[in-house]
Amino acid sequence: MGAQRLLGRLSATGAAAQASVPGAYAWAVTVAPAAWSRGAPTLARVAAVAALLALFGGIAGERAWGARARFASLWAFVLASALAWSSAPAALAPLRVDSLRGLAGMLGWALFAFASAAPALPPLESRLDASGSSQGEQPAPVRAAWSRRDAAYVAVGTLLAALIQTVGWGVATVERALLVRFTALAAALAVIAAATDVALHDRSARASPSPAARVRRAMLPLLLLALLAVAGLMFASRG
Amino acid sequence: MQLVDVLAGALVVAAGAAFFSGEAALARTDDLHALYWLVVGVVCLRAGVQVARPGAKA
Repeated sequence: MGAQRLLGRLSATGAAAQASVPGAYAWAVTVAPAAWSRGAPTLARVAAVAALLALFGGIAGERAWGARARFASLWAFVLASALAWSSAPAALAPLRVDSLRGLAGMLGWALFAFASAAPALPPLESRLDASGSSQGEQPAPVRAAWSRRDAAYVAVGTLLAALIQTVGWGVATVERALLVRFTALAAALAVIAAATDVALHDRSARASPSPAARVRRAMLPLLLLALLAVAGLMFASRG
Repeated sequence: MQLVDVLAGALVVAAGAAFFSGEAALARTDDLHALYWLVVGVVCLRAGVQVARPGAKA
């Protein structure tokens, strides 16, 4: 019952609070050991503390200012963590060698990416009220609204984000390893956010304009994509 | 499911593949290819979300 009460409180607080749990885990596994390692400069510790403050400050910020505060908190946390790592690059060498800690850190950041980019869980009370019972046979409307197709979109996005995280773990240079990790994290966040966006908007497709209008609306990025494809082919043909 | 929904999903998958290629290029210090694939990934994501979003403004 205690765990259910805790889950209920967490789901009632919002997306930033839900993301703070895996965020704190990722911070504890990857940022704190680097910042408080032997020989790490004060800047690394200050950045690590700032990252934690940004993470938990996002909870209060989201209540006061909404989703924009959550977005600012998310990126402040990621950038401050990157600053802590880059201030103590020598501390990352043992992290790379210790595969268990590396795996735990990757899992933590993947969970944080998913919790930050996916929509917040609705309050537990509303789910229980909607279903009438917590142990009834009928699924709650909130859960039923998520079709298998929506779940498949989010699952594919999560899988892609996890695949992106598998690249670049054997990079020899510390600075390059940092750059790869940071861009991989940003890419994973963007992919999960987009997959969730596609899933949620696909669900309300009945109210959507015609397919031609939707393609016309995306004409600018599609044209840019075609230009990039042509440029890439020309570049490849020149060797 | 409409064809544009499949297109939106394919664009997001293509973005993931482009990001993967970009990260791999970045890891082997091939910065030009990395930049190219990361830009392709961002544009693919933008296009996918624009196609999927029913009520989005142009």
